[in-house]
Amino acid sequence: MAATRALAGLRVIEMAGLAPAPFAGMVLADFGAEVVRVDRPGIKNIDLLSRGKRSVALDIKAPGGADTLKALCRKADVILEPFRPGAMEKLGLGPAVLQAENPGLIYARLTGFGQTGKYARLAGHDINYMASSGVLSLLGEKGKKPAPPANLLGDFAAGSLTCLLGIQMALLERSRSGQGQVVDANMVDGLAYLASFVHTFSHIGLWDTEKRGENLLDGGAPFYDTYETADGRFMSVGAIEPHFFRNLLRGLDLDPAAVPSQNDLSDWPRMRTEFERAFRERSMKEWTEVFDNLDACVTPVVGLTETDKHPRPFLVRGPEGDLQPRPAPHLSRSSYFAKPDRRPIEGEHTRAVLKELASFSDAEVDALIERGVVVDGSVHRDGWNRNSFGQEVDKDSRC
Amino acid sequence: MVAPLSGLRVLELAGLAPSPFAGLILADFGADVVRVDRMQRFTTDELSRGKRSVCVNLKTKEGVATLLRLCEKADVLIEPFRPGVLESLGLGPSILHARNPRLVVARMTGFGQAGTYSQMAGHDINYLATSGVLSLLGRAGEPPLAPGNLLGDFAAGSLFCVVGILMALQQRQRTGKGDVVDAAIVDGATYLASFVLRALESGIWAPERGTNMLDGGAPFYDCYETKDGEYMSVGALESQFFARLLGGLGLTADDVGDQIDQSAWPEMREKFAAIFRSKTQAEWSGVFDGTDACVTAVVELPEAGRAPHGADRRLVVEAAAADGGDASLEAAPAPRFLGLGQDTRKGTGPSTPFRFDVRSRPSVGEHTVGVLKENGFTATEIAQLARANAVNGPGEGKSRL
Repeated sequence: MAATRALAGLRVIEMAGLAPAPFAGMVLADFGAEVVRVDRPGIKNIDLLSRGKRSVALDIKAPGGADTLKALCRKADVILEPFRPGAMEKLGLGPAVLQAENPGLIYARLTGFGQTGKYARLAGHDINYMASSGVLSLLGEKGKKPAPPANLLGDFAAGSLTCLLGIQMALLERSRSGQGQVVDANMVDGLAYLASFVHTFSHIGLWDTEKRGENLLDGGAPFYDTYETADGRFMSVGAIEPHFFRNLLRGLDLDPAAVPSQNDLSDWPRMRTEFERAFRERSMKEWTEVFDNLDACVTPVVGLTETDKHPRPFLVRGPEGDLQPRPAPHLSRSSYFAKPDRRPIEGEHTRAVLKELASFSDAEVDALIERGVVVDGSVHRDGWNRNSFGQEVDKDSRC
Repeated sequence: MVAPLSGLRVLELAGLAPSPFAGLILADFGADVVRVDRMQRFTTDELSRGKRSVCVNLKTKEGVATLLRLCEKADVLIEPFRPGVLESLGLGPSILHARNPRLVVARMTGFGQAGTYSQMAGHDINYLATSGVLSLLGRAGEPPLAPGNLLGDFAAGSLFCVVGILMALQQRQRTGKGDVVDAAIVDGATYLASFVLRALESGIWAPERGTNMLDGGAPFYDCYETKDGEYMSVGALESQFFARLLGGLGLTADDVGDQIDQSAWPEMREKFAAIFRSKTQAEWSGVFDGTDACVTAVVELPEAGRAPHGADRRLVVEAAAADGGDASLEAAPAPRFLGLGQDTRKGTGPSTPFRFDVRSRPSVGEHTVGVLKENGFTATEIAQLARANAVNGPGEGKSRL
């Protein structure tokens, strides 16, 4: 298949980290970028999002380590680093140094709190960034404490995706100016921006941000919520517009005259009780059959690993037999992997990458290995190419 | 720095939530975004600062021809309609690309261009349900709970749509050709949850909602109510942060048992809850700010630009209304660009000031004449189109709401 890959030829150095940076790197790799992940030698990388990446095991704190990374960055398009602000500068690897050597380098910094500000040097996690951004206060049930949606909004949406936006925009700008950029992609800024709609809805009186769980779109409205079925599963109801609401009632076999008026907030509790009772009468499968033919905005709540049986083939099986999601969005002219690549072993590509990207000779690589600056992970005690679950895989199973 | 997307020409066919936010992001970063509205007085789009608005009646032949002509010079078209609607208007990608092979056609929908549900109506909650992501969210033993419409509409929707557009533009630099971007919220949501999918498969995430480390199951990753009815967020996952959390709460390891012993969690949660209730939010911030305990105040959204750290970052600014109406709160575009070679300085000062000029929102049809003229329409042609009700006429700028 001769389709192009959107990001073919893009060279990315991803400094190993948790969740957000690996996901950003994975998206770039999925769309054709060459992503080299720099791992710390000896530390098992728990990155579950590493398909299609290559791994170099390099200790940037060891003598000669920083210079080795500098060499790799000279020919790179993007460096993606998730460390605490100032950490790279301390090692002599900050933007002033790396971009002096490569002025076209996009220096993407992905953190929770950002490069500056009162909390910039503090440790934190998704829930904290959500809290500081003002977004967490919006989410959760009425009368109960705020509830973040796992770590999806902070780490991956506001973190990884905002970082990707910044990288892509910087690359487009570079094609005109020839110059790189420093991108301060962080979850607090990203979350606040992501909630732009809430400000506008609030401005026109449709979202009271002081009343968590009582609004149209946050679980307050009975016609925008989930309901338990007879078999303990759930249906999602998003019947906002009047004609969808009418179809909802039709599907539930409820007499519109007996149900409170849709927009009468004071009657919402009674409406909710009616809906709860009605949905509990049939199984999820039965309700799905009813509503698949009615434009009511009512659909089953599917389990994450069930989606491969569902209308769209979201998931594919990787070379290790595991379920992997297909990249989004779909570009019609571009392909992404036909089958997902397997995940690299730490340090598997140290030698190859140093030679390719930074023109090291074999002898130079050997010297670095001897000094403990890098590790060649392609040579394992138990032999070649074991995946992170310890199973043997075909060493040529990249596509 | 010149805005990264300056010179990029975007046509945004008016729609709800996801497509306007995608258009806003492009506009915020310098693109020239023209929103194509229906022939009506009002718009539901408030995410429109810096955009221009034209009214084009796509139900008329002349209106369709007008839009096609506007597409000739455009780089991006964003359309939010049900799959096939664009085709039925005579504006499908085959026609658009015959006119302008460089155009990136971004199709922003919930269920996608193909698939069993592609013709069905839906909203954020339904797309999340179908993607498998909604099943992950909510408290243990409770029904699934969508996080407003932030995750579906704006994250899985708008953000992936813009990422797709930008990647297609990069691709175009090499190939010279545009593309069709099928930006489906269901696809984006499942993909966004890649980490959780992998974690489920490898057994470190249990399928029962609300019982895991990161979804509310763990007492050291949750929110707690304070004496004054506010909340603190606790994200003390790593053992060293957990130790600082205990220290701040005046507890020892013996008081709560082993951090990862799930049987100890209920009691741990009760102890934490009781202690958090003994001080106000401000007092707790005084205890934990500057420490590595991963404990921070839960800030209300309108206050985010005034709270510690949020003020430093200028998360939210207040902008006077051009028409003298109420000031509005505007969230600053992210990410921030710091400039070539810009090192992070030592210490925690406020953010390097960045420019965020809050531009006004257009009235419906305010820029029709200007935009048409830019695209080579003569005054005579414009008058004809107005008579044919294909566009709004000059002087017919309509009110915003």
